[in-house]
Amino acid sequence: MRKQIMLFVEESWLLLVSSVVCGAALASVDAWWGPKIAEQQRLKFDRLARAIVPQAQQFEEAVPGDQMLVKVGAKQVPTTIMKAVGPDGKAIGWVFQAEGSGFADKIRLVVGVDPQFNTMQGFGVLFSNETPGFGDRMKGPEFRDQFAGAPAGGLVVKKTGDRGTIDADIVAMTGATVTSDAVVKIVNNFIDQIRPQMKAKGLM
Amino acid sequence: MAEAGGVSVRKAFTTGLWTENPSLRLLLGMCPTLAVTTAVRPALTMGCSVIFVLVCSNIAVSLMRNLLKPHLRILMFTLTIAAFVTIADLFLKAYLPEMSETLGPYIPLIIVNCIIICRSEACASQNGLVVSIVDALGMGLGFTATLCVLGSIRELLSSGKWAGFEVAPKAFTPWAGMAMPVGAFVTLGLMLGLVNLITKKKA
Repeated sequence: MRKQIMLFVEESWLLLVSSVVCGAALASVDAWWGPKIAEQQRLKFDRLARAIVPQAQQFEEAVPGDQMLVKVGAKQVPTTIMKAVGPDGKAIGWVFQAEGSGFADKIRLVVGVDPQFNTMQGFGVLFSNETPGFGDRMKGPEFRDQFAGAPAGGLVVKKTGDRGTIDADIVAMTGATVTSDAVVKIVNNFIDQIRPQMKAKGLM
Repeated sequence: MAEAGGVSVRKAFTTGLWTENPSLRLLLGMCPTLAVTTAVRPALTMGCSVIFVLVCSNIAVSLMRNLLKPHLRILMFTLTIAAFVTIADLFLKAYLPEMSETLGPYIPLIIVNCIIICRSEACASQNGLVVSIVDALGMGLGFTATLCVLGSIRELLSSGKWAGFEVAPKAFTPWAGMAMPVGAFVTLGLMLGLVNLITKKKA
């Protein structure tokens, strides 16, 4: 037994030492650049939120330090609800991060709704890895503009229709029905689960 | 200009640039060559990332070459390459977030880029530090130059721009197909044909 252990150590010591060294190096780099990466993500969220609610003077957490849990598949995903504060200091909308599965990878969105959670103000794409030229057209105005002013929740994907008509029917991107469907499902899922939590907390 | 291993430093550098250019002569690293060359900037970023990983992994493998056990060497190569790729990926996320998003999974996929594992096996595990570094620089620059040429042609024809700047006259009609996979295959095919023609004439 001892002989076997010695043989194992003799054969694999370099691999073991290298694993520890590489692990330590990556942990250090992550600790060094981690805050910068988090800052970049926060800036991107802010940029997208401002594009969705351009009248907002600032965005602040609806309940400081509090997150709401949303069921996505078998997982509970925490999300922070941000209040869009207007020039008069009143809430002019809510903005939050939503996520779910897309065609190729996870899709993360920033979703904006009005103060009563009745109408959508739009969405922005925080992260996606959808097919270039097909699914990634969800970032373009042709698909996205259908959401600004649409009812909050109960959205339905249609393969054909008029994209200029703003209602619960979202006309899918040609050649990217799965991505169109995924975006609508993510938006519906988060709005449907966040609305009752907002009511329960007396935020609307 | 030679090391104990017998490989000339000058030859180690020039080999990667032309005679054994990874993309045009060895046809290695085809996945990023085709996928990230829609424009010059992502092509250049990918090239620089590959140079960084190639140089660092060649240094690490060259330093440990006498300690490597034959049956564990591929595992060791992958471990060191993965560490440097993760560092490059984190750097892009921290300082070039938009480029990191544009390149998507292709930066993490450098881990399985055969140029890097090929140079670890064929050069760094058999040569000293200087030759390994110079070989990595030559191969990396050869790869980057190919990506930039491919990216330039595709960006110019698909949008009339070069590195984001308008260069084509207003009357130019963009070729949408050049931004799509078909544009990458056609352009690379023509470049390979041209290189074959030149090398055949020389022979």
